[in-house]
Amino acid sequence: MTEIVLAAENLAKKYGEREVVSDVSFALHRGEVFGFLGPNGAGKTTTIRMLVGLVKPTRGRVLIEGRDLAADFEGAMRRVGCIVETPDLYKFLSGRENLEHFARMVGNGAEGRIAELAALVKMNGRLDDRVGTYSLGMRQRVGIAQALLADPAILILDEPTNGLDPAGIREMRGLIRHLAEDRGIAVFVSSHLLVEIERICDRVAIVQRGRTLAEGSIADLTQNGARSLEELFLEKTGGESV
Amino acid sequence: MSSSPFVLVGLVQNETLKVLRRKRLRIVLLVLGLILTLVVFAQARQRSNERKDNPTRDWKASVEKRASELERRMQGRRVPEGWARWMKFEAARLRYHLEKNIDPDQISGPMFARGFAGIGSVLLIPLLIAVIGSDLVSSEFSEGTVTLLLTRPVARWKVLLSKYVTGLLFSTITLLAAFLLAWLISGTSFGFRGWGAPVLTGFKFGAAGFDAAGVRVVALWQDTLAAYGLAWISALAVSSITLLLSVLFRSTAAAMGTMMATLIGGTILSRVASDWEGAKWFFVTNLPLPDFYAGMPTPFAGMTLAFSVQVLAAWSVAAVAAAFIVFSRRDVTSAA
Repeated sequence: MTEIVLAAENLAKKYGEREVVSDVSFALHRGEVFGFLGPNGAGKTTTIRMLVGLVKPTRGRVLIEGRDLAADFEGAMRRVGCIVETPDLYKFLSGRENLEHFARMVGNGAEGRIAELAALVKMNGRLDDRVGTYSLGMRQRVGIAQALLADPAILILDEPTNGLDPAGIREMRGLIRHLAEDRGIAVFVSSHLLVEIERICDRVAIVQRGRTLAEGSIADLTQNGARSLEELFLEKTGGESV
Repeated sequence: MSSSPFVLVGLVQNETLKVLRRKRLRIVLLVLGLILTLVVFAQARQRSNERKDNPTRDWKASVEKRASELERRMQGRRVPEGWARWMKFEAARLRYHLEKNIDPDQISGPMFARGFAGIGSVLLIPLLIAVIGSDLVSSEFSEGTVTLLLTRPVARWKVLLSKYVTGLLFSTITLLAAFLLAWLISGTSFGFRGWGAPVLTGFKFGAAGFDAAGVRVVALWQDTLAAYGLAWISALAVSSITLLLSVLFRSTAAAMGTMMATLIGGTILSRVASDWEGAKWFFVTNLPLPDFYAGMPTPFAGMTLAFSVQVLAAWSVAAVAAAFIVFSRRDVTSAA
Protein backbone atom coordinates (compact mmCIF):
# COMPACT_ATOMS: atom_id res chain seq x y z
CA MET A 1 0.00 0.00 0.00
CA THR A 2 1.22 3.51 -0.83
CA GLU A 3 2.10 6.13 1.72
CA ILE A 4 -0.72 7.83 3.65
CA VAL A 5 -0.57 11.64 3.26
CA LEU A 6 -3.70 12.61 5.15
CA ALA A 7 -5.51 10.72 7.87
CA ALA A 8 -8.79 11.72 9.47
CA GLU A 9 -9.08 9.87 12.79
CA ASN A 10 -12.48 9.60 14.49
CA LEU A 11 -13.49 13.17 13.74
CA ALA A 12 -16.50 14.49 15.63
CA LYS A 13 -18.04 17.94 15.86
CA LYS A 14 -20.74 19.16 18.18
CA TYR A 15 -22.39 22.57 17.96
CA GLY A 16 -24.01 22.92 21.37
CA GLU A 17 -26.12 19.79 21.73
CA ARG A 18 -26.28 19.07 18.01
CA GLU A 19 -23.74 16.55 16.82
CA VAL A 20 -23.07 17.23 13.14
CA VAL A 21 -20.24 14.75 12.74
CA SER A 22 -20.08 11.71 15.04
CA ASP A 23 -17.24 9.52 13.85
CA VAL A 24 -15.55 10.03 10.51
CA SER A 25 -12.27 8.29 9.63
CA PHE A 26 -10.48 7.74 6.35
CA ALA A 27 -7.02 7.87 4.83
CA LEU A 28 -5.72 9.53 1.69
CA HIS A 29 -2.80 7.94 -0.18
CA ARG A 30 -0.17 9.66 -2.28
CA GLY A 31 -1.19 10.17 -5.89
CA GLU A 32 -4.76 8.89 -5.65
CA VAL A 33 -8.06 10.58 -6.35
CA PHE A 34 -10.30 10.06 -3.35
CA GLY A 35 -14.06 10.58 -3.50
CA PHE A 36 -16.02 11.77 -0.49
CA LEU A 37 -19.69 10.88 -0.89
CA GLY A 38 -22.72 11.43 1.24
CA PRO A 39 -26.28 12.71 1.22
CA ASN A 40 -26.99 16.32 2.10
CA GLY A 41 -26.64 16.91 5.82
CA ALA A 42 -24.33 13.90 6.25
CA GLY A 43 -21.62 16.15 7.64
CA LYS A 44 -19.51 16.43 4.47
CA THR A 45 -18.98 20.16 4.64
CA THR A 46 -18.18 20.17 8.36
CA THR A 47 -15.71 17.32 7.82
CA ILE A 48 -13.95 19.20 5.02
CA ARG A 49 -13.80 22.31 7.20
CA MET A 50 -12.17 20.22 9.93
CA LEU A 51 -9.61 18.86 7.44
CA VAL A 52 -8.35 22.37 6.67
CA GLY A 53 -8.54 23.84 10.16
CA LEU A 54 -11.52 26.14 9.66
CA VAL A 55 -13.54 24.21 12.25
CA LYS A 56 -11.94 22.65 15.32
CA PRO A 57 -12.99 19.04 15.94
CA THR A 58 -14.67 18.25 19.26
CA ARG A 59 -12.97 14.85 19.15
CA GLY A 60 -10.48 13.15 16.87
CA ARG A 61 -7.62 14.59 14.89
CA VAL A 62 -6.30 15.27 11.39
CA LEU A 63 -2.79 14.16 10.46
CA ILE A 64 -1.18 15.65 7.36
CA GLU A 65 2.04 13.88 6.42
CA GLY A 66 2.30 12.89 10.05
CA ARG A 67 1.80 16.41 11.44
CA ASP A 68 -1.13 17.03 13.76
CA LEU A 69 -3.17 19.87 12.25
CA ALA A 70 -4.25 21.20 15.65
CA ALA A 71 -0.71 21.25 17.06
CA ASP A 72 1.19 22.44 13.99
CA PHE A 73 -1.23 24.28 11.74
CA GLU A 74 1.37 26.08 9.64
CA GLY A 75 3.54 22.99 9.15
CA ALA A 76 0.58 20.84 8.20
CA MET A 77 -1.12 23.33 5.87
CA ARG A 78 2.10 24.06 4.00
CA ARG A 79 1.43 20.84 2.06
CA VAL A 80 -2.29 21.42 1.41
CA GLY A 81 -4.13 23.27 -1.31
CA CYS A 82 -7.90 23.57 -1.10
CA ILE A 83 -11.10 25.07 -2.40
CA VAL A 84 -13.85 24.94 0.22
CA GLU A 85 -17.33 25.31 -1.26
CA THR A 86 -17.26 28.04 -3.92
CA PRO A 87 -13.89 29.49 -4.98
CA ASP A 88 -14.41 32.90 -3.38
CA LEU A 89 -11.58 35.11 -4.58
CA TYR A 90 -11.27 38.86 -4.14
CA LYS A 91 -13.62 40.14 -6.85
CA PHE A 92 -12.12 43.64 -6.91
CA LEU A 93 -8.65 42.27 -7.67
CA SER A 94 -7.46 40.69 -10.90
CA GLY A 95 -6.78 36.96 -11.14
CA ARG A 96 -3.05 37.67 -11.07
CA GLU A 97 -3.34 39.91 -8.00
CA ASN A 98 -5.31 37.18 -6.24
CA LEU A 99 -2.58 34.67 -7.01
CA GLU A 100 0.11 37.11 -5.87
CA HIS A 101 -1.86 37.75 -2.68
CA PHE A 102 -1.99 34.06 -1.77
CA ALA A 103 1.58 33.44 -2.99
CA ARG A 104 2.79 35.97 -0.43
CA MET A 105 1.04 33.94 2.26
CA VAL A 106 2.63 30.70 1.09
CA GLY A 107 6.20 31.96 0.63
CA ASN A 108 8.72 29.46 -0.72
CA GLY A 109 9.01 31.24 -4.04
CA ALA A 110 5.36 30.60 -4.90
CA GLU A 111 5.23 33.84 -6.86
CA GLY A 112 7.57 32.32 -9.42
CA ARG A 113 5.05 29.55 -10.17
CA ILE A 114 2.15 31.86 -11.11
CA ALA A 115 2.86 31.92 -14.85
CA GLU A 116 3.24 28.15 -15.06
CA LEU A 117 0.05 27.51 -13.06
CA ALA A 118 -1.94 30.03 -15.07
CA ALA A 119 -0.93 28.13 -18.20
CA LEU A 120 -1.84 24.80 -16.58
CA VAL A 121 -5.42 25.95 -15.86
CA LYS A 122 -5.58 27.78 -19.21
CA MET A 123 -6.15 31.20 -17.67
CA ASN A 124 -3.12 33.11 -18.97
CA GLY A 125 -5.27 35.13 -21.38
CA ARG A 126 -7.62 36.65 -18.80
CA LEU A 127 -5.35 36.76 -15.77
CA ASP A 128 -5.21 40.55 -15.63
CA ASP A 129 -8.97 41.04 -15.70
CA ARG A 130 -10.87 41.59 -12.49
CA VAL A 131 -12.20 38.37 -10.94
CA GLY A 132 -15.61 40.03 -10.76
CA THR A 133 -15.83 39.69 -14.53
CA TYR A 134 -15.02 35.94 -14.52
CA SER A 135 -17.47 33.11 -15.08
CA LEU A 136 -17.79 30.45 -12.39
CA GLY A 137 -15.64 28.09 -14.44
CA MET A 138 -12.88 30.66 -14.68
CA ARG A 139 -13.03 31.36 -10.97
CA GLN A 140 -12.84 27.62 -10.35
CA ARG A 141 -9.70 27.42 -12.48
CA VAL A 142 -7.99 30.37 -10.78
CA GLY A 143 -9.02 28.74 -7.50
CA ILE A 144 -7.18 25.58 -8.50
CA ALA A 145 -4.12 27.53 -9.59
CA GLN A 146 -4.24 29.21 -6.18
CA ALA A 147 -4.46 25.82 -4.45
CA LEU A 148 -1.41 24.60 -6.36
CA LEU A 149 0.77 27.61 -5.44
CA ALA A 150 2.21 25.85 -2.41
CA ASP A 151 3.24 22.86 -4.53
CA PRO A 152 0.99 20.72 -2.35
CA ALA A 153 1.00 16.99 -1.65
CA ILE A 154 -2.73 17.15 -1.01
CA LEU A 155 -5.44 18.97 -2.91
CA ILE A 156 -8.89 19.25 -1.32
CA LEU A 157 -11.70 20.15 -3.71
CA ASP A 158 -15.27 20.63 -2.57
CA GLU A 159 -17.74 19.90 -5.40
CA PRO A 160 -15.22 20.89 -8.11
CA THR A 161 -17.57 20.33 -11.04
CA ASN A 162 -20.52 22.16 -9.50
CA GLY A 163 -21.93 24.74 -11.88
CA LEU A 164 -19.60 23.87 -14.76
CA ASP A 165 -20.83 23.18 -18.29
CA PRO A 166 -20.14 19.76 -19.89
CA ALA A 167 -16.93 20.96 -21.52
CA GLY A 168 -15.79 22.46 -18.24
CA ILE A 169 -16.58 19.24 -16.37
CA ARG A 170 -14.56 17.25 -18.86
CA GLU A 171 -11.64 19.61 -18.57
CA MET A 172 -11.77 19.53 -14.77
CA ARG A 173 -11.80 15.74 -14.85
CA GLY A 174 -8.69 15.72 -17.06
CA LEU A 175 -6.94 18.22 -14.80
CA ILE A 176 -7.64 16.22 -11.65
CA ARG A 177 -6.36 12.98 -13.20
CA HIS A 178 -3.27 14.82 -14.47
CA LEU A 179 -2.48 16.21 -11.03
CA ALA A 180 -2.81 12.80 -9.39
CA GLU A 181 -1.08 10.67 -12.02
CA ASP A 182 1.67 12.97 -13.27
CA ARG A 183 2.38 15.08 -10.21
CA GLY A 184 1.69 12.54 -7.49
CA ILE A 185 -0.79 14.81 -5.70
CA ALA A 186 -3.43 13.14 -3.54
CA VAL A 187 -6.72 14.74 -4.62
CA PHE A 188 -9.68 14.70 -2.24
CA VAL A 189 -12.94 15.35 -4.09
CA SER A 190 -16.34 15.72 -2.50
CA SER A 191 -19.29 15.41 -4.80
CA HIS A 192 -22.91 14.47 -4.87
CA LEU A 193 -22.56 13.37 -8.51
CA LEU A 194 -22.04 9.61 -8.27
CA VAL A 195 -21.14 9.27 -11.94
CA GLU A 196 -18.49 11.93 -11.58
CA ILE A 197 -16.97 10.19 -8.58
CA GLU A 198 -17.06 6.83 -10.31
CA ARG A 199 -15.25 8.29 -13.31
CA ILE A 200 -12.42 10.11 -11.65
CA CYS A 201 -11.84 8.47 -8.28
CA ASP A 202 -9.65 5.55 -7.33
CA ARG A 203 -11.14 5.14 -3.88
CA VAL A 204 -14.16 6.50 -2.06
CA ALA A 205 -15.58 6.96 1.41
CA ILE A 206 -19.33 7.10 1.99
CA VAL A 207 -20.61 9.09 4.95
CA GLN A 208 -24.05 9.35 6.42
CA ARG A 209 -25.37 10.93 9.60
CA GLY A 210 -21.85 11.94 10.50
CA ARG A 211 -20.30 8.47 10.24
CA THR A 212 -18.19 6.71 7.60
CA LEU A 213 -20.22 3.77 6.32
CA ALA A 214 -17.72 2.40 3.82
CA GLU A 215 -14.25 3.14 2.55
CA GLY A 216 -12.38 1.34 -0.21
CA SER A 217 -11.42 1.24 -3.86
CA ILE A 218 -14.25 1.57 -6.34
CA ALA A 219 -13.32 -1.84 -7.78
CA ASP A 220 -13.64 -3.52 -4.39
CA LEU A 221 -16.79 -1.74 -3.37
CA THR A 222 -18.60 -2.49 -6.62
CA GLN A 223 -17.21 -6.04 -6.73
CA ASN A 224 -15.38 -5.25 -9.94
CA GLY A 225 -18.40 -3.72 -11.60
CA ALA A 226 -20.92 -6.41 -10.60
CA ARG A 227 -23.05 -3.61 -9.29
CA SER A 228 -22.94 0.14 -9.79
CA LEU A 229 -21.71 2.65 -7.27
CA GLU A 230 -25.22 4.03 -7.26
CA GLU A 231 -26.69 0.73 -6.04
CA LEU A 232 -24.03 0.49 -3.37
CA PHE A 233 -24.63 4.05 -2.33
CA LEU A 234 -28.38 3.64 -2.05
CA GLU A 235 -27.94 0.41 -0.17
CA LYS A 236 -25.51 1.95 2.31
CA THR A 237 -27.43 5.14 2.87
CA GLY A 238 -30.85 3.50 2.88
CA GLY A 239 -32.03 5.43 -0.17
CA GLU A 240 -31.86 8.90 1.33
CA SER A 241 -31.70 11.59 -1.29
CA VAL A 242 -28.30 12.98 -2.12
CA MET B 1 10.55 27.32 5.85
CA SER B 2 9.33 30.87 5.64
CA SER B 3 10.41 33.02 8.54
CA SER B 4 7.69 34.89 10.45
CA PRO B 5 8.83 38.49 10.06
CA PHE B 6 9.11 38.01 6.32
CA VAL B 7 5.61 36.56 6.09
CA LEU B 8 4.22 39.43 8.16
CA VAL B 9 5.61 42.00 5.72
CA GLY B 10 3.89 40.15 2.87
CA LEU B 11 0.65 39.98 4.83
CA VAL B 12 0.64 43.72 5.55
CA GLN B 13 1.35 44.28 1.85
CA ASN B 14 -1.72 42.14 1.05
CA GLU B 15 -3.97 44.01 3.45
CA THR B 16 -2.75 47.38 2.19
CA LEU B 17 -3.47 46.33 -1.39
CA LYS B 18 -7.02 45.32 -0.42
CA VAL B 19 -7.73 48.55 1.47
CA LEU B 20 -6.47 50.66 -1.43
CA ARG B 21 -8.46 48.70 -4.01
CA ARG B 22 -11.69 48.94 -2.05
CA LYS B 23 -11.53 52.69 -2.63
CA ARG B 24 -12.64 53.46 0.92
CA LEU B 25 -9.60 55.68 1.49
CA ARG B 26 -10.48 57.80 -1.53
CA ILE B 27 -13.99 58.38 -0.19
CA VAL B 28 -12.61 59.29 3.24
CA LEU B 29 -10.19 61.82 1.73
CA LEU B 30 -12.96 63.25 -0.41
CA VAL B 31 -15.27 63.68 2.60
CA LEU B 32 -12.47 65.33 4.58
CA GLY B 33 -11.70 67.69 1.72
CA LEU B 34 -15.36 68.64 1.24
CA ILE B 35 -16.04 69.27 4.92
CA LEU B 36 -12.86 71.31 5.34
CA THR B 37 -13.66 73.38 2.25
CA LEU B 38 -17.10 74.09 3.66
CA VAL B 39 -15.78 75.10 7.10
CA VAL B 40 -13.06 77.31 5.65
CA PHE B 41 -15.57 78.95 3.31
CA ALA B 42 -17.93 79.66 6.21
CA GLN B 43 -15.15 81.09 8.36
CA ALA B 44 -13.86 83.28 5.54
CA ARG B 45 -17.38 84.64 5.01
CA GLN B 46 -17.75 85.40 8.70
CA ARG B 47 -14.40 87.21 8.71
CA SER B 48 -15.30 89.37 5.76
CA ASN B 49 -18.66 90.26 7.30
CA GLU B 50 -16.98 91.26 10.54
CA ARG B 51 -14.57 93.42 8.64
CA LYS B 52 -17.43 95.08 6.83
CA ASP B 53 -19.21 95.90 10.11
CA ASN B 54 -16.06 97.11 11.76
CA PRO B 55 -13.52 98.30 9.20
CA THR B 56 -10.96 99.52 11.70
CA ARG B 57 -11.05 96.39 13.76
CA ASP B 58 -9.10 96.60 16.96
CA TRP B 59 -8.77 93.08 18.33
CA LYS B 60 -7.96 94.33 21.81
CA ALA B 61 -11.19 96.29 21.98
CA SER B 62 -13.33 93.39 20.78
CA VAL B 63 -11.67 90.84 23.10
CA GLU B 64 -12.09 93.26 25.98
CA LYS B 65 -15.74 93.58 25.08
CA ARG B 66 -16.24 89.79 25.00
CA ALA B 67 -14.47 89.32 28.34
CA SER B 68 -16.54 91.93 30.14
CA GLU B 69 -19.72 90.57 28.56
CA LEU B 70 -18.90 87.13 29.97
CA GLU B 71 -18.09 88.59 33.38
CA ARG B 72 -21.40 90.43 33.41
CA ARG B 73 -23.39 87.35 32.44
CA MET B 74 -21.83 84.99 34.93
CA GLN B 75 -23.10 87.22 37.73
CA GLY B 76 -26.62 86.47 36.57
CA ARG B 77 -28.78 84.65 39.10
CA ARG B 78 -30.22 81.98 36.83
CA VAL B 79 -26.98 80.84 35.25
CA PRO B 80 -26.31 77.13 35.99
CA GLU B 81 -23.18 76.52 37.99
CA GLY B 82 -21.40 74.64 35.21
CA TRP B 83 -21.98 77.47 32.78
CA ALA B 84 -20.84 80.05 35.28
CA ARG B 85 -17.61 78.14 35.78
CA TRP B 86 -17.05 77.94 32.05
CA MET B 87 -17.72 81.67 31.57
CA LYS B 88 -15.31 82.48 34.36
CA PHE B 89 -12.69 80.32 32.67
CA GLU B 90 -13.24 81.83 29.25
CA ALA B 91 -13.20 85.41 30.52
CA ALA B 92 -9.97 84.79 32.41
CA ARG B 93 -8.45 83.15 29.34
CA LEU B 94 -9.29 86.19 27.22
CA ARG B 95 -7.88 88.58 29.82
CA TYR B 96 -4.70 86.52 29.92
CA HIS B 97 -4.31 86.96 26.17
CA LEU B 98 -4.82 90.72 26.50
CA GLU B 99 -2.18 90.84 29.17
CA LYS B 100 0.33 88.95 26.99
CA ASN B 101 -0.66 90.98 23.91
CA ILE B 102 -1.57 87.87 21.85
CA ASP B 103 -4.73 87.89 19.75
CA PRO B 104 -6.72 84.77 20.78
CA ASP B 105 -8.62 84.82 17.48
CA GLN B 106 -5.75 85.32 15.09
CA ILE B 107 -6.45 83.21 12.07
CA SER B 108 -4.00 81.66 9.64
CA GLY B 109 -3.70 78.37 7.78
CA PRO B 110 -1.45 76.92 10.49
CA MET B 111 -3.78 78.18 13.24
CA PHE B 112 -6.75 76.56 11.55
CA ALA B 113 -4.84 73.26 11.16
CA ARG B 114 -4.01 73.36 14.86
CA GLY B 115 -7.64 73.94 15.78
CA PHE B 116 -8.79 71.09 13.58
CA ALA B 117 -6.84 68.56 15.68
CA GLY B 118 -9.26 69.27 18.53
CA ILE B 119 -12.50 69.68 16.59
CA GLY B 120 -11.70 66.74 14.30
CA SER B 121 -10.84 64.21 16.97
CA VAL B 122 -14.16 64.69 18.78
CA LEU B 123 -16.11 62.92 16.05
CA LEU B 124 -15.10 63.39 12.41
CA ILE B 125 -11.70 61.66 12.40
CA PRO B 126 -12.93 58.71 14.54
CA LEU B 127 -15.86 58.24 12.14
CA LEU B 128 -13.56 58.19 9.12
CA ILE B 129 -11.23 55.72 10.81
CA ALA B 130 -14.23 53.51 11.56
CA VAL B 131 -15.19 53.63 7.87
CA ILE B 132 -11.77 52.33 6.83
CA GLY B 133 -11.26 49.86 9.67
CA SER B 134 -14.64 48.23 10.05
CA ASP B 135 -14.39 46.03 6.97
CA LEU B 136 -10.84 44.76 7.55
CA VAL B 137 -12.08 41.46 8.99
CA SER B 138 -15.85 41.51 8.46
CA SER B 139 -15.57 41.80 4.67
CA GLU B 140 -13.55 38.58 4.50
CA PHE B 141 -16.51 36.83 6.10
CA SER B 142 -19.25 38.53 4.13
CA GLU B 143 -17.44 37.98 0.82
CA GLY B 144 -16.52 34.38 1.64
CA THR B 145 -12.79 34.93 1.12
CA VAL B 146 -12.11 33.99 4.74
CA THR B 147 -12.02 30.28 3.83
CA LEU B 148 -9.05 30.85 1.53
CA LEU B 149 -7.38 33.33 3.84
CA LEU B 150 -7.46 30.97 6.82
CA THR B 151 -6.47 27.78 4.99
CA ARG B 152 -3.07 29.09 3.97
CA PRO B 153 -0.08 28.02 6.06
CA VAL B 154 -0.23 31.14 8.22
CA ALA B 155 -1.44 31.06 11.82
CA ARG B 156 -4.61 33.04 12.47
CA TRP B 157 -2.97 35.43 14.91
CA LYS B 158 -0.55 36.48 12.18
CA VAL B 159 -3.41 37.15 9.78
CA LEU B 160 -5.16 39.30 12.38
CA LEU B 161 -1.95 41.05 13.39
CA SER B 162 -1.38 42.07 9.77
CA LYS B 163 -4.90 43.46 9.62
CA TYR B 164 -4.43 45.36 12.89
CA VAL B 165 -1.12 46.84 11.73
CA THR B 166 -2.76 47.87 8.45
CA GLY B 167 -5.64 49.46 10.38
CA LEU B 168 -3.19 51.47 12.51
CA LEU B 169 -1.31 52.46 9.38
CA PHE B 170 -4.40 53.80 7.63
CA SER B 171 -5.61 55.57 10.80
CA THR B 172 -2.27 57.37 10.84
CA ILE B 173 -2.58 58.20 7.16
CA THR B 174 -6.11 59.54 7.73
CA LEU B 175 -4.89 61.80 10.55
CA LEU B 176 -1.93 63.05 8.52
CA ALA B 177 -4.24 63.70 5.58
CA ALA B 178 -6.61 65.59 7.89
CA PHE B 179 -3.72 67.80 9.02
CA LEU B 180 -2.41 68.44 5.52
CA LEU B 181 -5.83 69.12 4.03
CA ALA B 182 -6.76 71.43 6.92
CA TRP B 183 -3.59 73.43 6.38
CA LEU B 184 -3.70 73.50 2.58
CA ILE B 185 -7.41 74.28 2.23
CA SER B 186 -7.48 76.95 4.94
CA GLY B 187 -4.17 78.29 3.67
CA THR B 188 -5.76 79.37 0.42
CA SER B 189 -8.03 81.75 2.39
CA PHE B 190 -6.00 82.61 5.50
CA GLY B 191 -2.42 82.20 4.29
CA PHE B 192 -0.03 79.28 4.61
CA ARG B 193 2.53 80.92 6.86
CA GLY B 194 2.65 81.61 10.54
CA TRP B 195 3.99 78.41 12.10
CA GLY B 196 6.25 80.47 14.36
CA ALA B 197 3.45 82.60 15.87
CA PRO B 198 3.36 82.57 19.66
CA VAL B 199 0.38 80.88 21.30
CA LEU B 200 -0.63 80.46 24.91
CA THR B 201 -1.02 76.93 26.12
CA GLY B 202 -1.44 75.09 29.41
CA PHE B 203 -4.67 76.64 30.69
CA LYS B 204 -6.47 74.51 33.21
CA PHE B 205 -10.14 74.37 33.90
CA GLY B 206 -9.88 73.89 37.64
CA ALA B 207 -12.40 73.72 40.44
CA ALA B 208 -12.28 77.48 40.82
CA GLY B 209 -12.81 77.89 37.09
CA PHE B 210 -9.49 79.23 35.90
CA ASP B 211 -6.01 78.04 36.71
CA ALA B 212 -3.14 79.83 34.97
CA ALA B 213 -0.32 78.20 36.90
CA GLY B 214 0.86 76.10 33.94
CA VAL B 215 0.32 78.65 31.17
CA ARG B 216 3.28 79.30 28.87
CA VAL B 217 3.99 80.78 25.46
CA VAL B 218 5.09 78.33 22.77
CA ALA B 219 5.52 78.52 19.00
CA LEU B 220 2.45 77.42 17.07
CA TRP B 221 4.29 74.54 15.39
CA GLN B 222 5.16 73.08 18.79
CA ASP B 223 1.59 73.36 19.98
CA THR B 224 0.37 71.76 16.73
CA LEU B 225 2.81 68.88 17.03
CA ALA B 226 1.63 68.15 20.56
CA ALA B 227 -2.04 68.39 19.54
CA TYR B 228 -1.67 66.00 16.61
CA GLY B 229 0.44 63.63 18.69
CA LEU B 230 -2.47 63.39 21.12
CA ALA B 231 -4.99 63.13 18.28
CA TRP B 232 -2.90 60.20 17.05
CA ILE B 233 -3.35 58.41 20.40
CA SER B 234 -7.12 58.85 20.02
CA ALA B 235 -6.95 57.59 16.44
CA LEU B 236 -5.06 54.45 17.46
CA ALA B 237 -7.63 53.77 20.19
CA VAL B 238 -10.51 54.11 17.73
CA SER B 239 -8.70 51.83 15.32
CA SER B 240 -8.19 49.18 18.03
CA ILE B 241 -11.83 49.18 19.08
CA THR B 242 -12.94 49.09 15.43
CA LEU B 243 -10.82 45.95 14.97
CA LEU B 244 -12.82 44.16 17.67
CA LEU B 245 -16.15 45.15 16.07
CA SER B 246 -14.89 44.02 12.68
CA VAL B 247 -14.05 40.62 14.19
CA LEU B 248 -17.36 40.31 16.04
CA PHE B 249 -19.60 41.18 13.11
CA ARG B 250 -19.70 39.23 9.87
CA SER B 251 -21.32 42.17 8.12
CA THR B 252 -19.33 45.32 7.45
CA ALA B 253 -22.47 47.42 7.67
CA ALA B 254 -23.18 46.10 11.17
CA ALA B 255 -19.61 46.71 12.34
CA MET B 256 -19.51 50.22 10.90
CA GLY B 257 -23.01 51.06 12.09
CA THR B 258 -22.26 49.95 15.65
CA MET B 259 -19.03 51.93 15.79
CA MET B 260 -20.69 55.06 14.39
CA ALA B 261 -23.63 54.80 16.77
CA THR B 262 -21.20 54.37 19.68
CA LEU B 263 -19.16 57.40 18.65
CA ILE B 264 -22.17 59.63 18.08
CA GLY B 265 -23.89 58.34 21.22
CA GLY B 266 -20.78 58.99 23.29
CA THR B 267 -20.49 62.51 21.93
CA ILE B 268 -24.10 63.22 22.87
CA LEU B 269 -23.45 61.75 26.32
CA SER B 270 -20.55 64.18 26.80
CA ARG B 271 -22.85 67.08 26.01
CA VAL B 272 -25.89 66.23 28.08
CA ALA B 273 -24.96 64.03 31.02
CA SER B 274 -22.26 66.02 32.79
CA ASP B 275 -23.73 65.06 36.17
CA TRP B 276 -23.13 61.34 35.70
CA GLU B 277 -19.47 60.97 36.45
CA GLY B 278 -19.38 57.29 35.46
CA ALA B 279 -19.41 58.36 31.82
CA LYS B 280 -15.78 59.39 32.16
CA TRP B 281 -14.84 55.70 31.92
CA PHE B 282 -16.39 55.45 28.46
CA PHE B 283 -13.79 55.64 25.68
CA VAL B 284 -15.68 58.09 23.48
CA THR B 285 -15.81 60.82 26.13
CA ASN B 286 -12.01 60.61 26.37
CA LEU B 287 -11.28 61.03 22.66
CA PRO B 288 -10.84 64.85 22.44
CA LEU B 289 -7.30 64.70 23.89
CA PRO B 290 -6.06 67.79 21.96
CA ASP B 291 -8.87 69.83 23.53
CA PHE B 292 -8.01 68.63 27.03
CA TYR B 293 -4.38 69.50 26.35
CA ALA B 294 -5.39 72.98 25.23
CA GLY B 295 -7.08 73.45 28.57
CA MET B 296 -10.67 73.25 27.39
CA PRO B 297 -13.06 72.07 30.07
CA THR B 298 -13.37 68.27 30.23
CA PRO B 299 -16.93 66.97 29.86
CA PHE B 300 -16.89 65.28 33.27
CA ALA B 301 -15.34 66.14 36.59
CA GLY B 302 -12.27 64.17 37.58
CA MET B 303 -10.88 63.88 34.05
CA THR B 304 -7.37 64.96 33.18
CA LEU B 305 -5.23 64.48 30.11
CA ALA B 306 -3.29 61.67 31.77
CA PHE B 307 -6.50 60.01 32.94
CA SER B 308 -7.96 60.07 29.43
CA VAL B 309 -4.82 58.64 27.85
CA GLN B 310 -4.90 55.79 30.36
CA VAL B 311 -8.59 55.08 29.80
CA LEU B 312 -8.02 54.97 26.03
CA ALA B 313 -5.00 52.68 26.46
CA ALA B 314 -6.97 50.29 28.69
CA TRP B 315 -9.87 50.14 26.20
CA SER B 316 -7.47 49.52 23.33
CA VAL B 317 -5.59 46.71 25.04
CA ALA B 318 -8.82 45.01 26.11
CA ALA B 319 -10.40 45.33 22.65
CA VAL B 320 -7.35 44.00 20.81
CA ALA B 321 -6.95 41.09 23.26
CA ALA B 322 -10.61 40.16 22.83
CA ALA B 323 -10.30 40.43 19.05
CA PHE B 324 -7.33 38.04 18.99
CA ILE B 325 -9.02 35.53 21.30
CA VAL B 326 -12.28 35.48 19.34
CA PHE B 327 -10.58 35.39 15.94
CA SER B 328 -8.21 32.51 16.76
CA ARG B 329 -10.85 30.35 18.42
CA ARG B 330 -13.80 30.88 16.14
CA ASP B 331 -15.10 28.06 13.94
CA VAL B 332 -15.47 29.28 10.37
CA THR B 333 -18.69 27.68 9.23
CA SER B 334 -20.48 28.14 5.91
CA ALA B 335 -20.35 31.68 4.68
CA ALA B 336 -23.65 33.25 5.64
